[in-house]
Amino acid sequence: MPVYLDRDELIFHADDVHPDARFSLAFQRTLRIPDDGRDHPLPPGLGRFPLRHVEDHADRLPQGWVTRGGVMFPMYQAEAMWILFSGGGYPFAVKIAAGKINAVSGERWSPGLNRDPQDYCVLPEQPWLDGYAVERGVIRQFVAMPLGQGYTAEEQLTGAAEWGGVQIVAYPMKAERWEELRRRRAKEMRVYAMRAPMVAESAAMGLAPGGRMRQVIVRDRRPLDVWDQRHGLRCHVAILNSADWAAATGSPAPQPPVSARDYTAAGLPWYDYYAEAPAVPGAAALASLKSVAALARERHGDAGDLAEPVPVQRVLRIGQTPGRAVTSAF
Amino acid sequence: MSDFGAHVRKAREAKLTQDRRYSLRQVAQRIGVEPAYLSKVERGETAPPGEETIRALARELDEDTDVLLALAGKVSSDLKEIILRRPRLFADLLRQLKQAPDHAILRLVREVKDGDW
Repeated sequence: MPVYLDRDELIFHADDVHPDARFSLAFQRTLRIPDDGRDHPLPPGLGRFPLRHVEDHADRLPQGWVTRGGVMFPMYQAEAMWILFSGGGYPFAVKIAAGKINAVSGERWSPGLNRDPQDYCVLPEQPWLDGYAVERGVIRQFVAMPLGQGYTAEEQLTGAAEWGGVQIVAYPMKAERWEELRRRRAKEMRVYAMRAPMVAESAAMGLAPGGRMRQVIVRDRRPLDVWDQRHGLRCHVAILNSADWAAATGSPAPQPPVSARDYTAAGLPWYDYYAEAPAVPGAAALASLKSVAALARERHGDAGDLAEPVPVQRVLRIGQTPGRAVTSAF
Repeated sequence: MSDFGAHVRKAREAKLTQDRRYSLRQVAQRIGVEPAYLSKVERGETAPPGEETIRALARELDEDTDVLLALAGKVSSDLKEIILRRPRLFADLLRQLKQAPDHAILRLVREVKDGDW
């Protein structure tokens, strides 16, 4: 039941369930949307974050990271990201947690799938995930903050700063269900996604809730027993402060992210994704979280540029074949 | 016409249909060579350029650098360095993998280790 790393993409391949049971997942750099209480359109993808095997850099990382295994990538403080799912159409149920807090249900990490409330994304219907599901059709963007400062969803909900990073488990559809589906849909199949010094524990980053964005987390309309829960594929993804990336890996960190203001001022577009799929309602626990800007305001009396409004003028509407721009131009 | 030259010409001309900046002259200028030289390379009348120029061409044409280097009969200097650091290990590994299908190679070298979390 392997998970591979190939050119900064995680490839989940449940080949012992079915040769077609495969999808890939990448972490996309993006603009941090203003945390100003308004619902924003989708920002673009500005290229993949570099992913590295944790074990390749074991001698420079805290022992706890090595024990968890998996991969890691760098983020700057207050930088945003989204998760891009791509594949050939084989259905998967994918649980995503940040700091072991489920990004869809707000509950603590548990193995297996739950339907009430739904605690996973369904592929291929879900092309991407940009943040925590706080309301039906609204997420709060994933924004990186240093673990231990109280901003992350994990710290707000559990009071502890233990995990940070991202945790993923993916369950493929049962092979016999897929064969049925494939026969039924033989003519409809399509590709769906376009869209030296020891590093200290303090380099660990977690994900905190940022600004609000319009995004549907698709409700699963299939019966729960279509998913093959005996064959889950797991991966732990650590997030390392970009300032420590070079020390850990010997490779330079990516350039600091472009600001939403500069991007918009350059006349570049944002996106609105139109999907008719039904949405999960969002989690009360996640809706109760304080955003990074709200906490900064409470603590320092000022949210700095976190809440600075950006006059978005160009919004491209994209439809059933998601064409959200993914570029490495920044 | 060499495989390398033909491939570069096809990739450049495909871009030229969308964007006039991909004329022979402009591409040559951006990668730092004379247009006449790039023309000869594309027609296979001269040997492929050095690694740095091929890297610049790959960036310019959105091509995979390793594939372009391979078409020119070259191996990237960073790969050479990796092999030279542990020559016996990598020579054995590559010989063993010579006949292996792609999915087996992918499984061997890219699997992510799962741990305790």
